[in-house]
Amino acid sequence: MEITWEDGSHSKLTGEQLRWACPCAECRGEAGTAGRLSRVQTLNDAELRIRDVTLVGQYALQIAFESGHATGIYTFSLLRRLMA
Amino acid sequence: MAAPSSQQILDALGRIKDPDLGRDVVSLGMIKELDVSPQGKVSFTFELTTPACPVRDRFKSQAEDAVGEIPGVTGVDVRMTANVRPAFMRPKPSEVLPGVKQTIAVASGKGGVGKSTVAVNLAAALSKSGASVGLLDADIYGPSVPVMTGSRVVPQQANGRLLPIEAHGMKLMSFGHINPGSEPTIYRGPMVGKAIEAMMIQVDWGRLDYLVIDLPPGTGDASLTLAQAVPLTGVAIVCTPQDVATDIAVKALQMFRKLNVTPLGLIENMSWYVCPSCGHRHEIFSHGGAESAAKRLGVPFLGAIPLEEGIREGADTGTPVVISRPESAGAKAFVEIASQVAARTSIQSFRQLPVINVH
Repeated sequence: MEITWEDGSHSKLTGEQLRWACPCAECRGEAGTAGRLSRVQTLNDAELRIRDVTLVGQYALQIAFESGHATGIYTFSLLRRLMA
Repeated sequence: MAAPSSQQILDALGRIKDPDLGRDVVSLGMIKELDVSPQGKVSFTFELTTPACPVRDRFKSQAEDAVGEIPGVTGVDVRMTANVRPAFMRPKPSEVLPGVKQTIAVASGKGGVGKSTVAVNLAAALSKSGASVGLLDADIYGPSVPVMTGSRVVPQQANGRLLPIEAHGMKLMSFGHINPGSEPTIYRGPMVGKAIEAMMIQVDWGRLDYLVIDLPPGTGDASLTLAQAVPLTGVAIVCTPQDVATDIAVKALQMFRKLNVTPLGLIENMSWYVCPSCGHRHEIFSHGGAESAAKRLGVPFLGAIPLEEGIREGADTGTPVVISRPESAGAKAFVEIASQVAARTSIQSFRQLPVINVH
């Protein structure tokens, strides 16, 4: 995935990088319980391939993977941090 | 031998269970277009929820075996298809308010500071200036727009969509129109989000220069749904001058900043009161709190509105004060604030969003 920011700068992220950075409660864990991404060592191909991306308001992207996982809302500030 | 009935076929297929969903494939509605010929040839479509179904082949052979065993069946033709659900459970950005140029939210954080009164008069003032204006009441629990605009009518439908109510030259939609009377709306958070989305998507707003959105108090479901569903042009924050109101207004403003929605500025309501008997000016809720908060936060101060009986009266009788008493100090304050909002809004419309490409 390639992003061109308002200031004209470009950044690139792979589906694999994005999947492992998923900020959703299931992946990160909530209320003191460990998330899925801290419990698994590997993810299969379908989990790492991006199926679709949509804009959330004007502050984030929601990314759907081929596996059907689509609950992660990636804020622009998170994406910028990942690309740095 | 006679051909079997459709029911016999469904009974046999009903013994196949989806291992993930834990129910039989017939009651899940996966069997479609069932046809049994007089010669005993059976054909049907087996619709999966995903083309990557891990038990696709097993389902096919199970279905062929189950039907093939029924006496009188001479052949089985199973078509495997998949009904792919959309990737996201949210409306596409292009489906939400396609004809609306600018969306302006009116928020406060705290309740009872006059958000709805400001939203109604802001919309009426923009409309009076010649723009085409809509007003969406996003307060599901305590909708005030129908009373404040004298529009307590049920919306009409056309082509499966709701038509906004027209009053005072504006297009209006409120949950108070949809669920009128004194019956309360008893909803949990996710339902509030759905109701607000429905008022954006299922209402035929047509072409509008401005859609003013009157938000309920709080920094939760309603504001979040709105900020996620539409690229808001900006948000105007209403507060009264005292600390207890400005403190909460700051929270609301910071919430919208986190969601990348530009604060258009702060509005101070109930700023002063001129006593009709003695002619003195009283500052009942203090004065200048919003202006100093705006300075502190680095956002514009959009103006102050006096506490006036005419404003309350306009709200209760259903004619916004900018229309009923345009010469009053309150009406003049609203008109001035509306022009400030319009100016800040047009600056905002040049703002750009990132461009995303997926290869």
